[in-house]
Amino acid sequence: MNSNQNISVVVISQSDLVLTGLFEVLKGSLASEVVLLHRGDELVDYQAMNGSVLILATSEEQEKSSSLMRQILVSAQQIHFMTLHLEADSVYSNQTINLFDAPTLICYKVNEILNSFLSDQNKDTDTELTKREIEVLQMVTKGHSNKEIADRLFVSTHTVISHRKNISEKTGIKSASGLTMYAILKKIIDMNEIDTADLI
Amino acid sequence: MELFNENSKLASVIHKDHSLLPVINRLGIKLGFGDKTIRNICEEKGIDLNFFVETINVFHYEAYFPEKRLLDFSVSMVIEYLVKTHQYYKDYLIPENDRLIELFLSASPDENAENDLVRKFYAKFKEEFVIHINFEEREMFPYILELNRVIENRASREQFKLKYPEYSISSFEKEHSNMDDKMDDLTNIIIKYLPPNYDQNRGNAFLANLFLFEKDLKNHSRIEDHILIPKVKQLEKLLVSDE
Repeated sequence: MNSNQNISVVVISQSDLVLTGLFEVLKGSLASEVVLLHRGDELVDYQAMNGSVLILATSEEQEKSSSLMRQILVSAQQIHFMTLHLEADSVYSNQTINLFDAPTLICYKVNEILNSFLSDQNKDTDTELTKREIEVLQMVTKGHSNKEIADRLFVSTHTVISHRKNISEKTGIKSASGLTMYAILKKIIDMNEIDTADLI
Repeated sequence: MELFNENSKLASVIHKDHSLLPVINRLGIKLGFGDKTIRNICEEKGIDLNFFVETINVFHYEAYFPEKRLLDFSVSMVIEYLVKTHQYYKDYLIPENDRLIELFLSASPDENAENDLVRKFYAKFKEEFVIHINFEEREMFPYILELNRVIENRASREQFKLKYPEYSISSFEKEHSNMDDKMDDLTNIIIKYLPPNYDQNRGNAFLANLFLFEKDLKNHSRIEDHILIPKVKQLEKLLVSDE
């Protein structure tokens, strides 16, 4: 998959009507996960969220818990807030969703911000594996552990893990046996080089 | 989105979401229910009305998850539903997948090594999956039911402790994400990376069944991870605090 995977959208509102309404409006137009919460502190269940996080919440909720939310989301690279303005009057801002905004306008505003996340990540939507990632993938398919791969490539285990994460994000494949399948189908490795009975 | 309630006519529920058919079967209902409402049918068949309504809503609408209400259901009712789901996988979905993948792969113009690879990957996935559900039925569910009997004072605490000295539900928790990952990998490989010379209609038929399986499995995992396991943790706490 592409770097969209690294973007999460969180909607916070006490009102189920608002939550389900925004979910319906957004789900079709986003490649990202949409998380619905009643309160900011419920984010503790999503501590592992990394990459970019867009949080939609009322200004009251932001005042109350934005600093807490920042503390919870330690793994996130960037956190951006959009304001839910649930009053009869409208605020003319690209950063605010108004009660009476049309669905298309809401999608437009949200996608504008998500697109700016992508350009911040130097538009890294390339799904081609780098040379180094291919080397790592080849070793994964031969059954080497992260530690063994690290030793052979003279890098830290941490670096290997990060390569593996990128490989999974780019290909959409997570398991070792799935990656082996991918490598064979893409002719990155030769089927005769590995023991398929063992790995698959 | 539309949520169903006890006054919905079951026929119109199925018109709106036919993927609920296997779900209502598992809950004990077959076709031929005329214009009856969910309430009529549940009363007639002695099915727990709330459990029926919540289960079809959870399945129908991915964002709907009334965890607090679902936690009120008895452990044995949830397990009975889960066991029926397993049965549906074993008796129908898996054999149907076997049949469709074979039709699909054997229809490729050149029966090649890549097909064989897909076949192996699927076989391995299936093997692990069957081991997983058998383990739940033979180990995890009996453990939970016994724990529940102890808490309800219908079984001996001492015997339970002898039988499960070091057991706790947290040891089961990681399993699901692994199965879900492999299922994702299989669909992704077929959608994104399969060589182009394959039989389209049979490929689509296989994938349609696989997606049905995936949807059902995700819901199944949701019920286990968000209802069953939290409930068991409550029971385990009770067991310790009662001492």
